[in-house]
Amino acid sequence: MKNFYLIITIFICLAINAKAQSVQDSLKDQMVELKERINGIDERLLTTESDLSKHNKIKISGYIQGQFDYFENKLSYPNNSFQVRRTRLKVQYEAAEGVRFVLQPELGPGGFELKDAYVTANSPIFKNLDLWVGKFNRPNYEVEYSSSQREVPERSRIIKALYPGERAIGAKLEYKAKIIPLKLQLAILNGNDGFTYKDALGNNMNTAQALTNKDYDNFKDFMFRATYTSKINDIIGLDFGFNGYLGQLKATSTSTIKGDYTLDNNTTAVGDALKRNWIGAEFQLYVDFLGGMSLKGEYMMGQNALPGYISNATTTTTANAMNATNDTILTTTTNTINKTQKPNQIVKFSGGYLYLNKNIGKKNQISARYDFYDPNTQISGNEINSKFYNASIADVTTTSSKVSGKNIIVTKNVTQTNVKLNSGTGDIAYQTLTLAWNHYLNDNIRVTFAYEIPMNEKTQSKDLTKDANNNLINLNDKATINGVDQYNYYNSVFKQNTFTIRIQAKF
Amino acid sequence: MKTLNIKKLAVVLSLLVTGIISFAFINQERITVKGSDTMVILAQKWAEVYMKKNPTASIQVTGGGSGVGISALINGSTDICNASRKMKQSEIDKLKDRYNTLGVEVPCAKDGITIYLHPGNKVKELTLKQLSDIFAGRIKNWKDLGGANADIRLYGRENSSGTYVFFKDNVVKADYAPNCQTLPGTAAVVNAVKKDVNGIGYGGAAYSTGIEICKVKKDTNSPAYEANATTIKNNQYPITRYLYMYLRNRPTGAMKAYIDWILSPEGQGLVTEMGYFPVR
Repeated sequence: MKNFYLIITIFICLAINAKAQSVQDSLKDQMVELKERINGIDERLLTTESDLSKHNKIKISGYIQGQFDYFENKLSYPNNSFQVRRTRLKVQYEAAEGVRFVLQPELGPGGFELKDAYVTANSPIFKNLDLWVGKFNRPNYEVEYSSSQREVPERSRIIKALYPGERAIGAKLEYKAKIIPLKLQLAILNGNDGFTYKDALGNNMNTAQALTNKDYDNFKDFMFRATYTSKINDIIGLDFGFNGYLGQLKATSTSTIKGDYTLDNNTTAVGDALKRNWIGAEFQLYVDFLGGMSLKGEYMMGQNALPGYISNATTTTTANAMNATNDTILTTTTNTINKTQKPNQIVKFSGGYLYLNKNIGKKNQISARYDFYDPNTQISGNEINSKFYNASIADVTTTSSKVSGKNIIVTKNVTQTNVKLNSGTGDIAYQTLTLAWNHYLNDNIRVTFAYEIPMNEKTQSKDLTKDANNNLINLNDKATINGVDQYNYYNSVFKQNTFTIRIQAKF
Repeated sequence: MKTLNIKKLAVVLSLLVTGIISFAFINQERITVKGSDTMVILAQKWAEVYMKKNPTASIQVTGGGSGVGISALINGSTDICNASRKMKQSEIDKLKDRYNTLGVEVPCAKDGITIYLHPGNKVKELTLKQLSDIFAGRIKNWKDLGGANADIRLYGRENSSGTYVFFKDNVVKADYAPNCQTLPGTAAVVNAVKKDVNGIGYGGAAYSTGIEICKVKKDTNSPAYEANATTIKNNQYPITRYLYMYLRNRPTGAMKAYIDWILSPEGQGLVTEMGYFPVR
């Protein structure tokens, strides 16, 4: 009986052992399976992480500005309208450590325009030095200050005049010192981006704006900007700096006049360089006084250049004369080439702006900006319209003759050149006061109420007048509204204010 | 040219400013705090104790990393940003653009970036140069440092972390090695090293429990120090840093009361209690 129990016990033990072995094997299998699954998940996670890291290198941002404008100018028709002012989409791709590609198209209703297209590369040796190549903002405080952040809807008049479209094509070195808060920028640019230089027919001679994107001339312009950031104490910070522009523009006329409408004695040939040089000084003062407050300003002065043009109009007259003695005919053909020259012009200018901004809590900000721009400091308001340059260059006649059978053919080429330029609206100085209230609904949406009050320099002229050559001087704005001619008279400060309500969505 | 009537302008602006100014000074009892993961346990403790003492106060604390906190400060979604590094100039510029202020920096604690090792690791101390070589990927095996013949496995933080930036700028002084695993939070770094005998990580001193703390020396001839209250106070520990709170403007009302309390002996006492080091 004992043996029976022993056998049964051994049998049960074997069975249990077999079962345990089986459970152990099963667990082992499950462990292996789980391990494989975890390895699989790990692998997938690594792949996902790798894919995600590529996406992390791409940054997309942008903003849309929709607005309603009411124009207080009697020449404006319609005097109120909605518009989409800016529609920007900025894509940045960090190709490698320190290498960044940036594309920013403007996708407005007016069409597609590439605002920014550049690459920045950090120097492997000098870590604080960046090279920029492509189309980017010109180095200037108000230019580089984003339109999505600016406290008033538009940039100052002087900035719009000197740096139209803000961007330029070229290369730039940017150095940020590590020990002191100093930033230096030096750019070499084509120099003519955004400018329109009209010929006699009104066509733009600046092909930089055409699809071919060629430069207007061989001259390259240099820009520099140096800024220093200082913290005076815990609540006051002062940034200041200076900037400059050293540029040249191709002369397209053989005469050059100065801002006072007298001839520049330096002889000019077509293709010569006209200097465009100016300097500027800037500051930004920040004070934490009952919330943030800032006072920001810049003053610029220097010399600008405007190209002229030469237009030719040829008239031909033919006269026949009979010589009865020898029975010959004398045919005289006279080609008269009337050359009308708009001379190049070099003008001294000055201007600047001053912002006063005050933040009220997190969501509100009020601002006032005063800006001024005198595009020609060499003549006063009273001289505008009366100052002009008008000169005739002595006629040049060349004669050639040939005998054809019994007849004599004489050809005369007469070149008559008249050079003239009148002072006008382009010489009028402006002061503009802009008041704005910005309300941030959240970080993405901002509502702006702004009122811009431009004030023109007064001139002597009341109505459209004629110059010595009986040409109309384009001194007054004119528009025909509902069949009635309307004028703005520059002998007074006429109303040309704009009220704007803008909503900006930014992401 | 027409002269502006400056007086009228000044009157209009003054009225506008004084008329709306009261909005800026409405005491907001609810304070949001966001930023450094290194500081999150300390910030939570501060908030918890302060709210018990001031039942009307409501303080909400979240982490996310110093970079995330600074972004939140700039976009207005937090009142206080905790940061384990200083704000960069580019970040201050954004504050200037949006709020016309430089931001207010409040050093509120000190910390030593601690080097975590597995207790089974033979290596017990490292120089700054060796740490740089390890995290830049120039030293890849523990045997080069007197340890076992095994590959070094690196654990670090994400690039939004202030600790990541501080350690990179002050110790590694180069790009991190590509095989350095980035983890979301100091606690995750500690956990990873706990489980990996060949692992090494870095993070705040307050998280260094249940793990080997590596002593650090400036160079081979210097003494090795462990991060503790004495070595950090005396600036002996080579990887010492301040921890900051950043605000948009000078604090007023409830915010000022809270900041003042944090800098008071009571608030600074909690700094020590939580494993950090006081500034006062």
